[in-house]
Amino acid sequence: MGDENAKKIFIAIPAFNEEKVIQDVIKEVRAAGYRNIVIVDDGSSDNTQQKAAEMGVVAIKHKINRGKGAATKTAIEACKLLDADIIVTMDGDGQHDPKDIDNLISPILTEGYEVVLGSRLKNPQGMPGYKIIQNKIGNMLTWFLFGLWVTDSQSGFRAYSRHAAEVINTRGDRYEYDSEVIREIYVYKLKYEEISIKVRYTEYSMGKLHKQSLMNGIITLYKMLWRLIS
Amino acid sequence: MTIHVYQIIMILVAIVMISQGVKNYIRGRSGQTLYKLAIRIVVWGGMGLIAIFPDFSNFLANIVGIKGNINAVILTGFILTFLMIFKLLSAIERLEQQISEVTRDDSLKELKSEK
Repeated sequence: MGDENAKKIFIAIPAFNEEKVIQDVIKEVRAAGYRNIVIVDDGSSDNTQQKAAEMGVVAIKHKINRGKGAATKTAIEACKLLDADIIVTMDGDGQHDPKDIDNLISPILTEGYEVVLGSRLKNPQGMPGYKIIQNKIGNMLTWFLFGLWVTDSQSGFRAYSRHAAEVINTRGDRYEYDSEVIREIYVYKLKYEEISIKVRYTEYSMGKLHKQSLMNGIITLYKMLWRLIS
Repeated sequence: MTIHVYQIIMILVAIVMISQGVKNYIRGRSGQTLYKLAIRIVVWGGMGLIAIFPDFSNFLANIVGIKGNINAVILTGFILTFLMIFKLLSAIERLEQQISEVTRDDSLKELKSEK
């Protein structure tokens, strides 16, 4: 697809210490036909921002690390400032395949959907068993706390219409952000769809285990609960 | 009536803490609200009161509905501690969000100025 004449489609990528792969990610997104790319370097200690800027994309940086949720929100805000009609969020570590962007935005372009959620669990081939279990627990908790059942509440590969990007208002700075988006879909009755996406569990992305540690899961759960009672 | 050393220490600490709270409030130091002052007076005043009148804990036990006066004091302490932790966590959460907002505004400054 990649037809950006009718709609301005922006790809928003939060990144933290991804200097090794960020240029490849940008190349892949371009190869998939998308030119409007916004990278938010979330206070990396390496040269993620410089590497992204060298590729001629919009590369902005948080002065301090604020978490994936905060960086994604900044990336979405930047896309809105650049007059985006559709915003696709994806991870900066190369685990998402940009070839899936076409499928992700298609329901928004042709069927009037507001949010399209990329789901790893619709076709979990190649996904480590423990990640499947983690995700299912996350889905159950998201459903229990926020009232909407989705097959992958923790996926960062999503597409939003301009309207959805305007109304969705999250407070979560870290991994609870993804679940909060589900809550907003439920609260604002946004028309959403889930589509199957491919995830590449490379040695590099699996090496960044801090992102998926059990302790992070517990912190995420605590933050989700805290926001409900505070 | 015999006065023990711990009672004198408790009374002195309570007086210092309450007087500091009152001073901060009167001087209008930022963040010193009447609510905070009230909590300070209740917590430290309560401790001072129990130090001066140990029998007051029996009165507290009757109010709370727990027979053992020490248990009532500990339970009340736990509840107050919990409330303070709750308040602290709320403040931290609010600060975290404000830091994120400031960081976001700063990073988007250039884009906004280009608009």
